Amino acid sequence: MVKTETEEKNWVGRPVPRKEENRLLRGRGKFADDIKLRNMLYLGFVRSSYAHARIVAVDTSRAQARKGVVSVLTGPEIASETQPFLEIGPEPCAKIKDYPLAVSKIRYQGEPVAAVLAESPALAVDAVELVDVQYEPLDPVVDVEEALKDESVLHEEAATNRVWRGVFEYGNVDQAFAEAAYVVDIDRLHFHRFSSTPLETNVILAQWDGKDERIYYWCNNSFPSFAIQFLAAHLGVPIDRIRVETSDIGGSFGIKITSYPQMAVCALASRKAGGRAVKWVETRSEHMLASAHGNERTFRRTRVALDRQGVITALVSEHLDDCGAYPRYEPLGCVIWSQVFPGVYRFRNARIDFTQAVTNKCPVGPNRGYSRMQHLWFLERVVDICAHQLAIPADEMRLRNYIRREEFPYTTPNGCVYDSGNYAKMLDVAKALIGWEEWKKKQASAREEGRLIGIGIGTTLDSGTNNFGQSQIVNPAAPFSGNSQGANCKLDIYGEVVVAVGSCPQGQGHETTAAQVVADVLNIHPDTVTVRTGFDTERNVHTGFSGTYASQFAVSGLSAVHGAAQKLKHEMTRLAAFALQASSDDLEFGSGSTGPEIRSRSTGASINYWGLSNIVNVNSAVLPPELHDITLNCRYVWRAPFKVPDKEKKYGSLTLTYASQLHIAVVEIEPETFIPRILDYAAVDDCGTRINPPIVEGQVYGATAHGIGAALMERCVYDSLGNMLTSTFSDYTPITAMNMPNVKYGHIETPSPHSYSGAKGMGEGGAAPLHAISAALQDALSARGIVIADSFNNGDSLFRALAEQKSGQGTKPVKVERRS
Amino acid sequence: MAIRLSGEFEVRRKPEEVYDFLSDPQKFAPLLPDYRGMTQQDATHFTLRVEVGISYIKGMAEMKMHLEEAERPKRARYRGQGSVAGGNVSVTAGFDLRPTDSGTVVAWAGESLIFGRLTSIAGGLLEPLGKKNVQRLIDGLRAALE
Repeated sequence: MVKTETEEKNWVGRPVPRKEENRLLRGRGKFADDIKLRNMLYLGFVRSSYAHARIVAVDTSRAQARKGVVSVLTGPEIASETQPFLEIGPEPCAKIKDYPLAVSKIRYQGEPVAAVLAESPALAVDAVELVDVQYEPLDPVVDVEEALKDESVLHEEAATNRVWRGVFEYGNVDQAFAEAAYVVDIDRLHFHRFSSTPLETNVILAQWDGKDERIYYWCNNSFPSFAIQFLAAHLGVPIDRIRVETSDIGGSFGIKITSYPQMAVCALASRKAGGRAVKWVETRSEHMLASAHGNERTFRRTRVALDRQGVITALVSEHLDDCGAYPRYEPLGCVIWSQVFPGVYRFRNARIDFTQAVTNKCPVGPNRGYSRMQHLWFLERVVDICAHQLAIPADEMRLRNYIRREEFPYTTPNGCVYDSGNYAKMLDVAKALIGWEEWKKKQASAREEGRLIGIGIGTTLDSGTNNFGQSQIVNPAAPFSGNSQGANCKLDIYGEVVVAVGSCPQGQGHETTAAQVVADVLNIHPDTVTVRTGFDTERNVHTGFSGTYASQFAVSGLSAVHGAAQKLKHEMTRLAAFALQASSDDLEFGSGSTGPEIRSRSTGASINYWGLSNIVNVNSAVLPPELHDITLNCRYVWRAPFKVPDKEKKYGSLTLTYASQLHIAVVEIEPETFIPRILDYAAVDDCGTRINPPIVEGQVYGATAHGIGAALMERCVYDSLGNMLTSTFSDYTPITAMNMPNVKYGHIETPSPHSYSGAKGMGEGGAAPLHAISAALQDALSARGIVIADSFNNGDSLFRALAEQKSGQGTKPVKVERRS
Repeated sequence: MAIRLSGEFEVRRKPEEVYDFLSDPQKFAPLLPDYRGMTQQDATHFTLRVEVGISYIKGMAEMKMHLEEAERPKRARYRGQGSVAGGNVSVTAGFDLRPTDSGTVVAWAGESLIFGRLTSIAGGLLEPLGKKNVQRLIDGLRAALE
């Protein structure tokens, strides 16, 4: 019996169990380290313990002499055989020479100096210890403001530590300040450096096949189409000679995007070893010390103009971004933050002077909420500080400043188009979830007892599906613009529906959501759809933007899947009309006694998918000429409707969808230890139409955990010599389930007009917990005149802030000018 | 991580005698805590071998030392560099001698710059250990010069 489309409820939007679960929870996932090749060698990196030093000599003789060691690679050797990696930024950034092994100078602790290739992992570890490196230490610079003085320059060829600078100015700032009722000055805010801690560290298996001059990679890089562009130019090989395959990935959060330097070393090591495969498995300490960290940012000399009602009318500020020792994915972060230029607020006049510099710290990489969370945290601090200074309740302050529901689609001062949203409604939902009024009463009575309880709101955005044309704002010569994703949908020889996408899921449930989309198009059950995820350059479903990053699969990836499925459906319809001798209008898709089929409504005749596929694949002589174009193997490339932004004005649509999150945290500062403890927590999400609600909810929990960890537990601490003091989990203390509060989850749906399903990209979460917890701590301490000026707060920092305030040593970071 | 320590003590010997002792690695070096040996390349260059033990992290450190400043009988200053437990250490140790009626005041200053994983793993232990070892060295020097 055929179930018709009208009888069957859509699969999109339903809590379909994750298809991946069966494999992953039974330990049957295939991760990069599960792949073993014959005669495989193992690579270990010799890393610098200095943050800044000249390399005087590298003596590899003892390591080379060790039995089981095949070879040792050094920086000068690699530099003689390759080109420096491409730099995305213009000069001075473009002058930086970045090789995967240090050539003559060390620029961050943990930078690889040499690579040892051995017959076993243990031999490689031992041999690393036998490489003698003589250094001449140089003065390290670990602070971005110090770096900009150029007293100790990291890259002599660039002659400065400044990587990029640009002024983003919109509206009439001076007039807005002249007309302001209040002007609030905030001396300095600081967003700390932290990272992601995926369970699986970076893993690379490479083989340089000399027979056909091809390089094969099996790895867990999460943006391989980006990586191969860098690798091809660096290694001097045509890009189609590089094959990259990814399989299951145990988390990335963006941090695995920048593993291409290690990929280069593994390939070169394989070539040196005569084409034997080379595997490198990063240790946890290596990952913490030298993979990539999130951007650290300092906000200086912020001035805010407000009207009498506390509505922000203008903002000026200087933002200094610390990108670590090498730019790599940077300076893209210098413009990516501007996707959310005004955050969720309505101010139209602003001038932000943005500068990025290198320091003697681990290079940064795109970390969950990349570049935008720093800016959104800054805006939330500005709103909260102004609210406290003007004695406006935090919720009321936001309602006065939020972009209003009726203003969507909303064009920001810099030309971005927020597709949809309803921030005021999210606030209502979150307040109801947390019990706002009850907590206000509890807070008042607790304060009478001397307890420090604060309630904080964090409203944030998760912009998804980038317009890569924004790269031209940082470098007008950059050859990137737009965005696209490819997908393939086919009927296999025995009629199996197989979908292939070019994404690299790391827990986002792409197999499930892609199956839901195809199931709706063909009116079949998602279990009858096989989805091949994982990037493979030879699967022909990727474009130059393929990968998993920047909250985009629900829009770009699934739009490509939807397009491919519709093409397949069209071909199947034509073929079934021929086979059943029926008109296309008479056909319906569904499932019958032999599985998925197409049926004639008028005659009841049907043909199942095997029958259809049989005609095309193994019985093709029966096909009439007019159907010879049918392949039942349909590729579709979805392209985002972007234009190249105005480079001079820094104006244009930079992102397609804007999911939003609103979190409320209730935090108490323990009186004895000053440790902040979360008493209650609510998280409300709006990612438009939810394709699979439990998957959305899971990502909200994950992003919330990540944000709470960053706010209270996790930070990359460097001492003045550039030593990273938190290169182990013992010191970094990543958040675990034991540290998580009970999160009260809620959602609203404002469908996006920019995607076929109404879905918006989501998953990065916009770092809402950082905003909400900083706001809660501010609320708890504002009566004592303390301003929360750092995104990281723990018992130690809060004790110091209170002690300084008590002793009168505390600075006055905020000034208010009230004009009559 | 930087550990900087300084102090002074007085001994009854003349500055020339104190200087000759402090500027002679063969006499001076064995007073270092956990000293295990040395090889001297020339009058001002020598390599020290000292045992390093920070809780469960144990190993042998080789320090290449240089007597970089020697002004008899006023000043002696050493600079050295070595590797230990996956990291590197740079040290400077200087002695300024001031004659008194009864002998010599030795004003000493030392700086250890520690680089590498050790600072993360044993950071909290390094400073007290450094202070303890410097005190042992100073006590040894005083005893040897008395």
